[in-house]
Amino acid sequence: MPMSTSLDRRRFLALSAGTALASTGLSACAGAAGTGTSGSGSGKTTLTVMTVEDERKALKDAEEALGMNINVILWDPTKLNAMLAAKNPPDVVRGFGATETPYFAARGLMTDLDPYFAKSSALKVSDLDPVNDVWRYDGKKQGAGPRYGMAKDYSQDSMFWYRTDLFEAAKLDAPSATEPISYDEWLDLGKKLVKRRLGKVKVYGLNATGMGVFPQLMGMTASAGGTLFAEDLATVDFSSPEALKALRWYLDYAKADIGPNVVNPNPDGWDGPTYQANRMAMSCNGYWFGGLIGADAKLAKVSRFAPAPQFGGDRVSSCFGATGFWIPRDAKNKDASWKFFEWYFGGKPAQERAASGWGIPSLKSLRANMPQTNAFQKQAFRVQEQELPHFSVLSFTPYAQQAALEGVLSKVLPGAVKSGTSAGKVADTLNSRMNEQLAQGKELVG
Amino acid sequence: MSTGQITAPGAPSPSGETAARPGPRSHARAGRRRTSLTTRRAISFYVFAGPWLLGFLTLTAFPLGYALWLSLTNSDGLSNNSRFVGLDNYREVLTDPETLSSLARTGIFTAITVPLSIAAGLLLAVLVNQPIRARGVFRTLLYLPAVVPPVGAALTFKLIFDRDSGAANGVLDALNINGVSWLMDPYARWVLITLMLWGCGNAMIISLAGLQDIPKELHEAARMDGANAWQSFFKITVPMLSPVLFFQVITGIIAAVQSFLPLLISLDPTPRGVSAVPEGNYLFMIHVFAQYFANGRYGYASAMLWVLFLIIVAITFLVFRLSKGAVFYSVAPEPDKPSRPRTIGGK
Repeated sequence: MPMSTSLDRRRFLALSAGTALASTGLSACAGAAGTGTSGSGSGKTTLTVMTVEDERKALKDAEEALGMNINVILWDPTKLNAMLAAKNPPDVVRGFGATETPYFAARGLMTDLDPYFAKSSALKVSDLDPVNDVWRYDGKKQGAGPRYGMAKDYSQDSMFWYRTDLFEAAKLDAPSATEPISYDEWLDLGKKLVKRRLGKVKVYGLNATGMGVFPQLMGMTASAGGTLFAEDLATVDFSSPEALKALRWYLDYAKADIGPNVVNPNPDGWDGPTYQANRMAMSCNGYWFGGLIGADAKLAKVSRFAPAPQFGGDRVSSCFGATGFWIPRDAKNKDASWKFFEWYFGGKPAQERAASGWGIPSLKSLRANMPQTNAFQKQAFRVQEQELPHFSVLSFTPYAQQAALEGVLSKVLPGAVKSGTSAGKVADTLNSRMNEQLAQGKELVG
Repeated sequence: MSTGQITAPGAPSPSGETAARPGPRSHARAGRRRTSLTTRRAISFYVFAGPWLLGFLTLTAFPLGYALWLSLTNSDGLSNNSRFVGLDNYREVLTDPETLSSLARTGIFTAITVPLSIAAGLLLAVLVNQPIRARGVFRTLLYLPAVVPPVGAALTFKLIFDRDSGAANGVLDALNINGVSWLMDPYARWVLITLMLWGCGNAMIISLAGLQDIPKELHEAARMDGANAWQSFFKITVPMLSPVLFFQVITGIIAAVQSFLPLLISLDPTPRGVSAVPEGNYLFMIHVFAQYFANGRYGYASAMLWVLFLIIVAITFLVFRLSKGAVFYSVAPEPDKPSRPRTIGGK
């Protein structure tokens, strides 16, 4: 039979379409039906972990300690979204407990870890630091309900570090290590410490938002005695007197151009390089930043830690990160993932992390391991210990991601700073735009 | 037949008579030969087109269809409660001021960068086509920026144009001139355009290939007729190069409309980093990315991409129509089907 009749172009196209669809379907099935023991051919479990480059060495150790293969996917929120949407997520995912837990938990994407905690001998609920509550969500608020993840360490992110050499050069008294300064005093210090030349800031006086503008505004509003989110977390209110106070302060800070802000962000993306290069006098970052400082003896000698500034309401010092890991609902190797959890959060890596100074350990039993050898470490530890009683969980909304709310701020605030729009008008715009987004999210979550 | 002319079987002879039909044995032999040729041609076609077609269906047609379906829902990609919203997303795309302004910004960006990069590429191509010493070195040097990955190029630009520690303001500082916030509005868009032009080596290579294809005789003849260099360039080089330039216009428009570079020169090329893209560089694709991954609006973002797809198709069609008469092909047009019998040999 001639080819032209047995396989004409039309049939060929149909056949190709069929094959393509079948292969797409098959790949999806392969993703769903994976046993997690494939890959090496040695019968070992292969655990897929999405995390940052810095963790690669620790994960290499995990392969030996746990007798499993670890497949590392570099942390990428875009890829994570795509993998979750395809119901083929990694087994373990790095995340920010404070701002991500409600979003993912409300969509049913996280595994309830309570049964695992209940039968674990390595990780006891009684030993968990209260910060781990940011990984809890009961469907209405954060801080209660099932545990969906665990923090590897944490900090109270409104605290700040300062350089004594720059304070001395400016003939200014260093901030108190015990009593928090007010936000207005903080801004004044920043203005006095900034150094400029020909329209450029040579030394930043102050960076006021280490973990993002929105969480900082949440913290400031709480410090003034209010809340940014309504009780049902479905709306924001920047027009309340407390939120307005915070917003007005931030607009003044951005207008003063004394540090990285929405109008002129830090090109490094974070404070580390700028602070190390003697180009920042005060940096709003929590205890974890001491890990960077402690690694440089010269820097440690001129660096000190201070309590979170306050607006005068109840003293509040929250955590906006609580970075850790969680296990997606559709993960294929949950038991192996939990073994990884026990090793990573309760084993040798946890002890090493606690001793490194890169954050407060998330287990109370490890707190004694925090570094207290030299003067810098002793001062930081003392200040941190005094701050700890003021820790509180600020509920984040399940209806939008932090990036979406930051996006609205970055659209609205630069224009407002340049034009000098009043805080009240800015608040109205923010309310309208953010609440529209939250309403869309609420419709989907139900 | 006695003249020695061979006429295709079944075709009318020059005298108007139909050629004698071959006998059953010769018909079978000719049929086998024909079948074998047809089969070989068919196999070649399927072997070469098959992998591409398979890739097209799995990686283009299927995602397009899936995105079309998504665009009719309010899905965030993660929740189970998404619902069918009909054409609501499309209505929003066509009325949302932020989306429309990002589209307009993209149009302006395209209108500036495409002609500029083609002109710069052509200029460089003409320069490195001159018989000068070390021509190969110049070609390599000018092409090098085009091989630098966009992420690397964007990072370099970010460091050069940083307000407080960048080299650009360092130069101004040395001249005692006030520094400029290059990466912020209103300067950011010009940094972006410069970044696009920095990679014009691609356009240079394509134009150079086109230049080398122009017969030297044409320029020599023009020179003998008294044409100067400009006349020769505009009357011979540009028309002869028009298919190459046209190709660059089409591909340049498609690339510029889909440009993602603004996110790369922002502080953090992630959904969080979208918030740091200055308004002047907030192009359509950045808005799409923000809708997908920062705002979780998969349905709306998919509708935006479909609208963009239709716009690109419309622009391409329009450019093809407008270019009629302006593009000169040196290859003769394909002749119509021969009405005369195909003959081998001749009188």
